[in-house]
Amino acid sequence: MSWIAKIARVGRIVEPALDAPKTTVVPPTGIAGSLQLRHVDAGSCNGCELEIAGAFSPVYDAERFGARMVASPRHADGLLASGVVTHNMHQPLLNTLNSVPQPRVVIAVGDCACNGAAFAGGYGVVGSVTDVIPVDVEVPGCPPTPQQIITALRTVTGR
Amino acid sequence: MSAAHTALHDSPGVPAPDVGSPASGRARGLAVLSGGLTTALGAVGVALGLSVIFGAPRHLRIGWLLPLVGVTFDLGPLGGFFVAATGAVSIAVGIYVVGYAQREHWVRFSLAMLPLFVAAMLLVPAAGSVTTFLLAWELMAAASLVLVLTEHHRGEVRSAGGFYAVMTQLGFAAILLALVVLSAAGRGDAFATIAAHSGGISTGTRTAVFLLTLMGFGSKAGLLPLHAWLPRAHPEAPSPVSALMSAAMVNMGIYGIIRIDVQILGPGPHWWGLTLMIFGALSAVFGVLQASVATDLKRLLAYSTTENMGLITLALGAATLLSSYGAHQVAALAMTAALLLILSHSAFKTLAFLAAGSVLAATGLRDLDKLGGLARRMPGTTVMFGIAALGASGLPLGAGFVGEWLLLQSLIHSPHDNNTLLALTMPLSVGAVALTTGLGIAAMVKAFGVGFLARPRSAAASAAREAPATMMTGMAIAAAACAVFALAPVLLSPVLRQVLAAVPTVGGAAAGPVLGAYLRLPGLAGSMSPGLIAAALLIAVLIALGLARWGGRRRPASAVAPLWACGADSLSPRMQYTATSFAEPLQRVFDNVLQPDTDVEVTHFAESQYLIEKVTYRTLLADPVEQRLYLPVVRAVTTWAQWVRRAHPGSVHLYLAYGALGLLIVLVIAR
Repeated sequence: MSWIAKIARVGRIVEPALDAPKTTVVPPTGIAGSLQLRHVDAGSCNGCELEIAGAFSPVYDAERFGARMVASPRHADGLLASGVVTHNMHQPLLNTLNSVPQPRVVIAVGDCACNGAAFAGGYGVVGSVTDVIPVDVEVPGCPPTPQQIITALRTVTGR
Repeated sequence: MSAAHTALHDSPGVPAPDVGSPASGRARGLAVLSGGLTTALGAVGVALGLSVIFGAPRHLRIGWLLPLVGVTFDLGPLGGFFVAATGAVSIAVGIYVVGYAQREHWVRFSLAMLPLFVAAMLLVPAAGSVTTFLLAWELMAAASLVLVLTEHHRGEVRSAGGFYAVMTQLGFAAILLALVVLSAAGRGDAFATIAAHSGGISTGTRTAVFLLTLMGFGSKAGLLPLHAWLPRAHPEAPSPVSALMSAAMVNMGIYGIIRIDVQILGPGPHWWGLTLMIFGALSAVFGVLQASVATDLKRLLAYSTTENMGLITLALGAATLLSSYGAHQVAALAMTAALLLILSHSAFKTLAFLAAGSVLAATGLRDLDKLGGLARRMPGTTVMFGIAALGASGLPLGAGFVGEWLLLQSLIHSPHDNNTLLALTMPLSVGAVALTTGLGIAAMVKAFGVGFLARPRSAAASAAREAPATMMTGMAIAAAACAVFALAPVLLSPVLRQVLAAVPTVGGAAAGPVLGAYLRLPGLAGSMSPGLIAAALLIAVLIALGLARWGGRRRPASAVAPLWACGADSLSPRMQYTATSFAEPLQRVFDNVLQPDTDVEVTHFAESQYLIEKVTYRTLLADPVEQRLYLPVVRAVTTWAQWVRRAHPGSVHLYLAYGALGLLIVLVIAR
């Protein structure tokens, strides 16, 4: 039973929670503290993906604020989109958005998703996520830190 | 499929062009006549069977029909049970065949043979003497062979017919030998006389008769390793014939084993029961394993027949073994399980083959990998096959559930204090039955899910039309029987009790299980109520539906959203599970038993080794028993025949010399 003692010894290793930000978006389900998200990589360099993974890791633990990643847009309340929208991912992004039940929230993560950053106007690029679909929350940064992502999520979850 | 048949598909919804012409009116008349005769024979069989089960046995002797011995019929409760089961199957098939024969353009000869086949099957359990039995048996075998060859213009049918003919005749030879030995030792031709003298038959004769009957009747019942004709003949025969063969004719093999080895020669020694159990368990596991990897719908059902006959033989063996150790209570339980399994298998296998026949008639396809999407196009047939598949899975609400539950109870509750043999066999048998049931569910989920749900995988499947009313009626009768077995086995209780009493060597005077609203096992722990399980499930579903309605009363109206295809534009039928891919993990797990011949060929682009142009996947699942056991025999026979052929050079003079030589030898011997 040494593992129970070890749990007690190690304690919580998660980063301390900052003060809750002001809620700016009405939670789509009408319930505070629950936000199920489907992530779409529309053409990212995977920098934002690493940081999103970090945000949902035990260290930052976004789930304690009520945000969760789900496998299907049918289970989701919103979309977490990252990267510039490439030609190949344009239609899949729209398909995914249309598969999320309404009302829904769209969160654009990273500079590329917000304004195209270095890739704006590229030959393989349709535009930023904000150009293609209506976005409710923008998270700037190249890439944004997990803490920034969590803060943005908390403006929706209200925790 | 014939050209006329394919033409029918090209115009779904449009009646066949020749409807209304005098020729088609005549074909309809003949089909109605044949089907009506089959149904009438079936009704007579059911009535006769029930009358002897509950009344006095019937005797009939026609002295002039066969020279020297005459024909004797002697129908008791055990024979009546099988006559009634065969009759019930024939009623459903007779009605079904009216529509099927017209759709498939049966020739007159096949229509005439169908009632004859049913009549022969009704005569087999009614036979009261060895001669009559052999006559009826051979009539049944010949009639079924002709029916298997209905579509003889196809090469596969001819090959299957040849295989079936050889195996059924070899089986007949074994039975002939066994019964001749038996009647010589029993000092009589009539079964009643043999039974009266069975006490004086020597152990050696008993052993020989047991082994020979096990071989002969086992080959008819499709037991391992003599099952090879089943997966060949059943798929190639027309579906109503497959239904009759699989649901009624194979039962005759079981009847033979019960009649000769349990009723007349029983109670057998320990090793008889053990042998039956081993062959039963092997057949059950091997059959279900082949069924779970089969992609041909009717081949799958044929292997499922081997599986079920294996389970029945296992139950028979358990009854014999337990009886020989004096555990009559549990033996009666195992025997009841065997009888119930026979009935339920007949019901759900009739339904399954008839539904498969509807699919075949509507699409021309048996290959599950090309079917799919039939639930929308053939809803009635889909429901029917669903009921049959549920029955074959042995799950609650299915026809096979009560029988398998009783079998497991008898195996679990067998007393094995200080008895190594029982202590070893019974848990192993429980394992075999459990494995069989589990794999059986996988096989049936595959047949139903891949064959009927999702989207059609071929043009023929998407052009399918629902079966005509007569075919649906035939299936509905079988489905009703399935429902009775699943929900109210209490209705069968009196029949089973009478039949059990007619097999005194197994179970003795012990009372069998009580099949009331509650299934109770006298003297044993364990009871179950299939009706209550069904009622509880129904109530649970209604509550769930009610709660969902109540919870959703304030929800906004539902919207139509595009299908989620993981971001892609749409799903194609190629993305669905096929029967092959569904069975692939099983095929991998049982690699040693199934010995599949798989081949993956990857072709790269010439420009780069990292880009794949195409992948070819081939898999060939041959029956390993056939490969190991049958091929060497066939090869040896061929070699021998080539050698004998040298004596047949075509010279008339030589043949005359053979004749003269033969006569000379006979004269010398008979001097």
